[in-house]
Amino acid sequence: MPLVRTRGIILRSLKWGDADRIVTVYSPNFGKIRGVARGARRMKTRFGGVLEPFGLVDLSLFQKTPESLGQISQIDLVASYSSIRENLTVMTAAARMVKMVEAITVDRDPNPGMYTTLVHGLKSLRPEADVALSALLFQIHVLGHTGFRPQFDSCTECGQLAKQHIPQWFSPRLGGVVCHDCGQRGVGRMLSLSKGSVAFIEQARRLSIPNLSRLKAIGSVRIEVETAMEAYFYAVVGKSLPTFEQWVS
Amino acid sequence: MADITSSTSKANGQPQGLLMRLTRELVRLPGIGQKTAQRLAFHLMKTDTEEALRLAEAIREVKEKITFCTQCRNIAEGPLCAICLDPKRDTSSILVVEEPSTLHAIEQSRAFRGLYHVLYGALSPLDGVGPADIRTHDLENRVQQGGITEVIVATNPTIEGEATAIYLTKRLKPLGVKVSRIAYGIPVGMDIEYADEVTLLKSIEGRRDLG
Repeated sequence: MPLVRTRGIILRSLKWGDADRIVTVYSPNFGKIRGVARGARRMKTRFGGVLEPFGLVDLSLFQKTPESLGQISQIDLVASYSSIRENLTVMTAAARMVKMVEAITVDRDPNPGMYTTLVHGLKSLRPEADVALSALLFQIHVLGHTGFRPQFDSCTECGQLAKQHIPQWFSPRLGGVVCHDCGQRGVGRMLSLSKGSVAFIEQARRLSIPNLSRLKAIGSVRIEVETAMEAYFYAVVGKSLPTFEQWVS
Repeated sequence: MADITSSTSKANGQPQGLLMRLTRELVRLPGIGQKTAQRLAFHLMKTDTEEALRLAEAIREVKEKITFCTQCRNIAEGPLCAICLDPKRDTSSILVVEEPSTLHAIEQSRAFRGLYHVLYGALSPLDGVGPADIRTHDLENRVQQGGITEVIVATNPTIEGEATAIYLTKRLKPLGVKVSRIAYGIPVGMDIEYADEVTLLKSIEGRRDLG
């Protein structure tokens, strides 16, 4: 299919050559696609300020073959989510979201559920909200959408029901809880994960993204869930996500 | 003049040996493709030896003698750059740019007569580029030394440029200086009806009083 017309979220916009940009877009029908916007950095560009990350766009992309890097022929802004650009914490939460999608998906693998989650996730980011929590809940959903949902019902090593073993451990490498006995034998790095933290993750997974604002996580549950999800995501994709602490110096 | 045929393959007309090496070096330059590199290589081969060596000498001198200004990090031929050494400059204002190339574009416009500060990059929440990765601390130190009343942030109107502007405002405002951002919006000569949503939003936000 030489001409691709789709709506999508801009995940990344990289400088390329003297005046071009390579834009990565996540779309509901084609998944992650890339294209070159020729002359996008010039003064009289026809793309204007549309090519920045986090924007929802309507895109026309010409590709000779599905594997080749396409040429962006037209791109129109549908929603800019401009409030994201006004605050460093909000910007970091949005950066975490798009980077998660970019890192965990492969090119041309459509996943409409993931796309809807991303749109709702970016929409939910407001300076007055707990954006770090929004990014965490988004992370739990993204892992579920891509078949990397952590296993909590039984031990990932021996398969015994998890409820029999409290307190539990979480193994980022194995992607789920590990019972006390297996933990004693040593199965690599393990993180503490209480019953409350597991319940929080399960509840976050069941709720749809627009309803996630009802969930609250404080104290040790928040710390445990954040640590476990961060380590698990790294184990899955081998990449770290932007941190909120990077702006503190 | 050198013999062109000796350096050209009779089979396909492609440059060989030394000429091939020169083409390979030229093709590394930004904006130079294989064809252009080949054309430049042939031109250099045909040109006077003296002229070609002048180019080689200029490249060598740039690499050996150009350093970075200890004050603003602009390119310099000594400890300080020509702008920092200029006594006619307004030393109370600093204009912050991402790269020296931006500084030179602004200098050519003659729109600013103060001093500069080059960050060599911009903060990037997406790529994990933090304040320690660019020269924000040097700028803070300059402001803390006193004598500066205004810092103008002229980073690009991108996510990275915005992040840098927000961060610098947060760090520099408490030091008692005015922090401003260059205006952006509708380019001169453009029809407003063709402007995109973000550009229009920014131009309306950044509007100013007339008269």
